[in-house]
Order: sequence, then C-alpha cells, then structure tokens
Amino acid sequence: MLASAGADVAALAEIEEWARRSVVVPPGTEVVDAHVHLGVDRDGHALSAADLIADMDANGIGRAVAFPADEPGSGGDFRDANGRVIEAWAAHPDRIIPFCRIDPAVGATAAIDEAHAAGARGLKLHPVAQRFAPEGEECVAAVRRATDLRWPVLFHAGFGARALAPAFAALLEWVPDARVILAHGGRGDHRALAALAAAYPDVLFDTSIAALPDLVMLPPERIVFGTDRPYGDHAQALHLVGAAARVAGWDATAMRGVMGGNLMRLLGGEGA
Amino acid sequence: MSGADALRVVTLAAQAEMALVRRDSVAAPLLAQAARAADGTPGGPLLAQAAAMVRGEPDREAIRQAALSLCRMALQEAQAEALGAQP
Repeated sequence: MLASAGADVAALAEIEEWARRSVVVPPGTEVVDAHVHLGVDRDGHALSAADLIADMDANGIGRAVAFPADEPGSGGDFRDANGRVIEAWAAHPDRIIPFCRIDPAVGATAAIDEAHAAGARGLKLHPVAQRFAPEGEECVAAVRRATDLRWPVLFHAGFGARALAPAFAALLEWVPDARVILAHGGRGDHRALAALAAAYPDVLFDTSIAALPDLVMLPPERIVFGTDRPYGDHAQALHLVGAAARVAGWDATAMRGVMGGNLMRLLGGEGA
Repeated sequence: MSGADALRVVTLAAQAEMALVRRDSVAAPLLAQAARAADGTPGGPLLAQAAAMVRGEPDREAIRQAALSLCRMALQEAQAEALGAQP
C-alpha cells in the first residue's frame, strides 16, 4: 500500500531505523511505554495485544501501560473493555501493565474496585472523551480512590480548548498526594501545568505526541516515555525523546528515568 | 540551518501535522511546501516522503498515519534546530 502511494519503502525503513537510533538508551534500561490504548476506539483506531507486543519487540520496548480505547460499552462503565485489558495482561504478564479506564459519572468506585481486584495497576481518565471536569466532584472521588490504592492516574491533557492548570490545581488541592501523569506533555496548557507541577513531586508528564519545546523545559525526572499507540507510533515517539535529550543535554541517569525508571517509581517500584 | 529557516519548517510542518490530524485536503500542499522549505536539512527526506505518499493516496488511513509520523519527526528535527541543538 505504501509503495502504491508513491512511497520509497526502503527509504521509509531507513527512516524508521534512524528514528530508533536517535534515542540512546543506557545499557540495562528497560524501556517502559506509559501510554497505550488497546481495543477498538469509537473513532476507528484499533490495536490488539498481539500487534502491540510485535511492535514492542521491534522497537525494544520492554513493557507498556495499556488501558482501553474509548469503548465504554452499553453500560458506559468500560467494564467489558477493562476486562479485555486484563485478559491481555494475563496473556502477556511480563509485557503489559494494566490500567483501567472509567467514566467518573458511571459507577466509578465500583469499576475501580472491580479492576483492582482483577489486577489493574492504575487509572486512565479522559476528560474530553467522557466530558467531565478534572476538578468535578465525581472525578475527585475517583482520583481519591485511586490514590488510596496507590495507583497512578493518567489524564489526557492534550488538545481540548479549556485551560487545564486551574482544573488540576483544584483537583490537587483535594488530593495532594495523587500520583498523576499528564499525557502529551500537558500540551493543552503546558506552561501553567509545569508551574503547578513544581509543587507536586508525584505529578509527571508523558511524552506521547508531546511538543518538543515543552519537554525540554521540564526536569527529566518529571517525564515518562509514552507512545499513545495506536494514535502515535514508536518511531516518532522514540525520535521525540532522542531530540529532547539532544536539546536538553540529558545524561544517562536522566535517560534511565525518562525511559522507564520514573514510571516504575510512580508505580511503586519494580514489580509492585 | 539558520534560525529563520528552522522556524519556517516548524511553521509549515506544524500546519501540515494538524491538517493530517483533521484529515484536511490542505495537508498535501502544506507537506509539499514544508518539504521544499526543509530541503537539505535532516527533516527534508521525511517531509519529501510524506508529501509523496499523501499526493499518491490522500484518502488511505495507513498512508495518513505514516505521513503523520514522518511529519512529526521532521517537525521535531526543526524544533531541535530552532532550539539550538546540533544535528
């Protein structure tokens, strides 16, 4: 298909390899992807566990945090989609770190507790797709519950119109010990979010489809590698981190953190 | 690449990126313009490939996604240049 569209397939393969080589991962570092959607999204994007594992193998990714695509199901509670992520984890326990996804307005506490019992390790929230405010009462309750479980909460923090920093400031006032990952480098409101996060050591930013100028302004210990598969891809995601390291001058310690160590710390340590 | 050259590529590639995200037909001419602006730079071959693919099969989803990846990498290269990194 790519060839029929006029692409030079050999050149594309070289570009992909160049992108992979652009990030220098220190020896012994397990690369962990903080941001992967499994399943079939309402918008048509899809990724199976088998395809994810194949992509991870091809790109040197050790493990990936996976959560459902936007497929809440007829009940709106993501129960079936969360179950499929747990199944994927059961099939690939050394490769997938399962997070659950919920709608804070639809049985959130029960959904979180059910996912926790099944083995989930964190929570994904998408304020745009599920149309809720991060500082709203129901979301605060969900984040409080996740925090009680020592779960990280990964928020979509990308392309919506609304200013994000005031919303997260309010949320963090309610749950100051929340472990929060702001996806996409918080590009929806990066400067204000970065200023806010300075006061909360457990607020991190993922690199998935983030803006390079945003990433290079952050302390590297606040950054976690992510791809946003299937919306993003491994080559571009790896190239972004490589470019950021080049601009910001990250050393090997910083790279170990960005590529996996920071996320594992937030998850409570290796194997936690 | 001068700072002005880098910013020109950043501008065009960022516009092309969003056009690709929005599945807007303006993506094809924007990619062609960005490829010309980036000719001779690290991002040039990426944008040239993306422009060729979108020109050939603008409505194929796999093509759009591949072009988007190439466009984003070229944008990142130009941003790195603008921020002062050595290629």
